[in-house]
Amino acid sequence: MSFSTKITFAFYGIIVYLLGISIYQVIREPNVWAYVVLAVTLLFVFWLLGSRLVSKKKPTVLSRIQAAVQRFSFLIEQLVARDFKTKYKRSVLGIFWSFLNPLLMMAVQYFVFVNLMKLRNLGGQNPMLEHYAVYLLVGIIMFSGFNDCCNQALRSIVYNASLITKVYVPKVIYPTTKVLSAGINLALSILPLYIIVLINRLWPNFSILVLPLGILFLMVFTLGMGYLLSSCVVFFRDIEFLWGVFSTMWMYATPIIYDIGILPNTVQKLMMFNPLYHYIDFVRQIVILQQVPTAQETMICAAFSVGMFAVGLLVFKKTEDKFIFYI
Amino acid sequence: MDQGILKEDMIRVENVSMNFRLMNDRISSIKEMMTALAKRKVKFKVFHALEDVDFTIQRGDVVGLIGHNGAGKSTLLKIISGIMRPTKGKVWRGANIVPMLELGSGFDYDLSGHENIFLNGAILGYSKEFLHSKYDEIVAFSELAEFIHTPLRNYSSGMLMRLAFSIATVVEPEILIVDEVLAVGDERFQEKSKKRMMELMSGGTTVLFVSHNIDQIREMCNRVVWLDHGKVKMIGEADEVCDAYRKQFLES
Repeated sequence: MSFSTKITFAFYGIIVYLLGISIYQVIREPNVWAYVVLAVTLLFVFWLLGSRLVSKKKPTVLSRIQAAVQRFSFLIEQLVARDFKTKYKRSVLGIFWSFLNPLLMMAVQYFVFVNLMKLRNLGGQNPMLEHYAVYLLVGIIMFSGFNDCCNQALRSIVYNASLITKVYVPKVIYPTTKVLSAGINLALSILPLYIIVLINRLWPNFSILVLPLGILFLMVFTLGMGYLLSSCVVFFRDIEFLWGVFSTMWMYATPIIYDIGILPNTVQKLMMFNPLYHYIDFVRQIVILQQVPTAQETMICAAFSVGMFAVGLLVFKKTEDKFIFYI
Repeated sequence: MDQGILKEDMIRVENVSMNFRLMNDRISSIKEMMTALAKRKVKFKVFHALEDVDFTIQRGDVVGLIGHNGAGKSTLLKIISGIMRPTKGKVWRGANIVPMLELGSGFDYDLSGHENIFLNGAILGYSKEFLHSKYDEIVAFSELAEFIHTPLRNYSSGMLMRLAFSIATVVEPEILIVDEVLAVGDERFQEKSKKRMMELMSGGTTVLFVSHNIDQIREMCNRVVWLDHGKVKMIGEADEVCDAYRKQFLES
């Protein structure tokens, strides 16, 4: 099978996957939100493939994306491979750290919050807290994945200054590959998560099929964030330091170690505007409650992802021609 | 030059101007920006790096670019290779361009020579199949077979340059942009790399070549563009332009 057919299969696979989930939502509970999800998915597919219906000759959006992916896939592959090789080059355990790191982090935090601070069941009503270790681990994996991606992407333009001023490569590639390699790390840490899940006797059911969608939402959101940060840092280096403070704030503002139930009502309402809360909750529902999140939840996550991606890409595209004068 | 090659345009530089805004001091933090805005001190001078540069390069031409320091040679190369976008005008390219602006700028020093051949090749836009087929040739030309699995940080600077040169010239690109890279390695390797460049040029590659070495330009190029303070002062036959350039030097 040639490489381009593989890409075609992958893209059509994703389309079928998204359509499948939205149809499932309509069948399960045919309310307004379910129909909205279905309509949006159909619109998205139409955007990708629509021009094929109008005329045979015009290339579809999908085929243009495919062409770009194919053209730069070797470069992307090399850059991602470089990230992995240099990251683990001189460590004894190598890639094994990708599994080990989230497990050890969880062990430390579990010990501190459960054994020392007796934080278990602070929320009370939330059934997810029954399995606090899993609850905690999902939060840690998702947030640290997001944070890793952002930190890597943030510096991607500035650190590649010597390349950008000497070789012509579409600049979007730099933050994209950084997010990709941190994203692969995130995907790898799903494995230790499932070890803990099985230890907790949470036998996965069909809802696990929706888990990749949750990760996909987070990755698309992170890509947008990465584009935005990497281009802003070129013009104002202060952002690098501000982001460190801001991401710590964001971490504590997200229910990772605590439950949303312990917060005052007003703060709970504000939490609706925290995209990471939605993503983490989305995955927790799948992993702990073994249920597919509602159509409304899915729609909120999708909206945050697409919105952030669009804003980030727009800012990046508007400013990329000026990078070379500032780096 | 071989008259059998059809004369067709490969690069058209059309009325290209490039302006840089020079600020009093570069503002790079929000605080500085705020205070500067408050004091209304965001002034800048406009510096014309290139003004109305207009010329055409045809297939098979070996064009030399000469001029004093700061005449805009490197800026022009960057615009032609697509790294910078000109303020005015545009550049039309008839084929893919392989820029050799600074050798080895894409190297990762923690990776081995073997891994860097693929990384650097990918950055220069080569395909995977191409690199696999040319891998042995690259290693042989660089004479680094013994050290190819050693991390680059243990290489000497000469070895680095040899590797970089071998990767960059393994292609037979339609347009090659070279910014003074012939002085690579020891004398023997310099001879070898010069021979390789000559081979590329006689193979019908279009070359745009920057050097301060007038004798080298005379030897290798058939046409020369003389840039002076961002403007084209003279275009023509290599000997003619080189003579005029040298004459101006003797006068001043």
